[in-house]
Amino acid sequence: MARPGGHPLVAGTGDVMAVLTSTIAWFLDPAHWTGVDGVPSRTGEHVILSVLAVVIASAIALPAGLVVGHADRGERIATAVAGIGRAVPSYALLILFVPFFGLGFSSALPALVLLAIPPILVNTVTGIRDVDADTVEAGRGMGMTGREVLMDVEVPAALPVIIVGLRTSAVQVVATTTLAALVAGGGLGRYIVDGFARQQDDRIVAGAFLVAVLAIVTERFFTWIQRQLEGRPGTLRLDVPIAPSPFGGRVAD
Amino acid sequence: MRHIRTAVLGAAILALIVSACSLGGGSQASRGTIASQLSLAGPPECPERPFCLKGLTATYGITFKEFKPTDAGGPITIEALKRGDAQVGLLFTSDPAIAVNGFVLLRDDKQLQLADNLVPVVRQAAIDANPVITDALNGVMAKIDQATLTDLNKQVTVDGSAAADVAKAWLDAQGFTFSGGSGTVKVGSTNFYEQEILGEIYAQVLEQAGLTVERKFQLGSREIVFPALESGDIDILAEYAATALEFVNKGAGEASTDPVATVAKLNERLVGMGGLVALDPAAATDQNGFVVTRETADKFGLVSISDLAKPAP
Repeated sequence: MARPGGHPLVAGTGDVMAVLTSTIAWFLDPAHWTGVDGVPSRTGEHVILSVLAVVIASAIALPAGLVVGHADRGERIATAVAGIGRAVPSYALLILFVPFFGLGFSSALPALVLLAIPPILVNTVTGIRDVDADTVEAGRGMGMTGREVLMDVEVPAALPVIIVGLRTSAVQVVATTTLAALVAGGGLGRYIVDGFARQQDDRIVAGAFLVAVLAIVTERFFTWIQRQLEGRPGTLRLDVPIAPSPFGGRVAD
Repeated sequence: MRHIRTAVLGAAILALIVSACSLGGGSQASRGTIASQLSLAGPPECPERPFCLKGLTATYGITFKEFKPTDAGGPITIEALKRGDAQVGLLFTSDPAIAVNGFVLLRDDKQLQLADNLVPVVRQAAIDANPVITDALNGVMAKIDQATLTDLNKQVTVDGSAAADVAKAWLDAQGFTFSGGSGTVKVGSTNFYEQEILGEIYAQVLEQAGLTVERKFQLGSREIVFPALESGDIDILAEYAATALEFVNKGAGEASTDPVATVAKLNERLVGMGGLVALDPAAATDQNGFVVTRETADKFGLVSISDLAKPAP
């Protein structure tokens, strides 16, 4: 049904300035900063769901990655599992989960966890496996047990790569959490989905902008953590290429 | 490593505390009407639409415990009802999912919904060339009541039959004998199953009457099909009376709950649009319908929408 007036994005007239002006007005409207549908509330929901997804994924993928990397076997299986996880679209999973888990976060969370696992798993395995063989051998020569080699030699050396995995995963999750809104979930995706449904371009653009800001903040946060760790004595400084990130193939600095 | 552990653990605990608080805060069901104990599932625009939540509040005085934004009469709404995530859902009145899932369509006793009866919109030039078009389409529409339309939809969406086969079987059963057509006519449809079935029925009944039919299906929204009708890219389209009227009059509010009056108004507007004409409306509608599960209907004794405004037991 057509609505008289706006919707340049959907109508395709492409009046960018009009959209930008109305989006700025949207942000300046105090009504958009209070209540359940306000920016603080929606951002909070978005952060909670994203953090939960990454934490649960880490609880699964970190131990699995450490074991596989340390044993230096089963890597193919881990990579295959990660590959399947990457190949299946989160949107499809989300809709498939609704009959089992119900509306909202209960379906969105498992879908996001499955999205979050592959980068953490792959980077943990690769990080541990690629630790300099001589260093590991030196540890063994000093009489360290396998567990000590893993926790005191391999993990510190692999940490930059593991953190990059977490970073990639977290940024993907923050961007994808928007999908929760399609199944009556909250989060910043609410603005995008509702904006399309109500033909309100300002709402769509505001939502997209907030998600982008949150994704950049997440990326910066993990980069900061990485810097803190690199500054610490006892941590190996490795110039390792990182997993592909949505912000281009940066190199750990 | 310790930094990381502390940071992740801290974030997790914080997240859990905040989510626990938000869960606890949202569950205060106020005593009052039946509706105040139920959740409504519908498309995200529903709270702002006069024929959805806004109208339920204005016309029936109904407010729900919660509104859950799902989809426009789609699978997410149906799953939400089946699972009990929502107790009232907005579906379309011709949706076979209502019967298949044993949902109860609440009677619109205060007539909130406008007359979205099916009605063919045709180019006058096509009728002038082949007057049989009027007889054939009016003959078809006279036979399409709500049960027929829902059953046709079910055969395609639930049983998985092809729209063309379903249309042919239905037409064969009617035994129409229209004839005397000649030349070519272009039948259009928008992009959902009901439109394709109706398009096929129109196309096949006209082919039986002797016309050559060009099918232009899956065309998209009214913003596409109305210009196509005006320019002659298509000659015939199955429309919905009230929504079509409010589309061509740009929301002037002329549509009513009376299908005949609504179609008369529609024809007044269509005259100015390159010679279009609406024929007779069918008894069948495809409009917003509020449904509940059989369980919910029995529990609260729900038959019509106004029952939702009654005091809770």
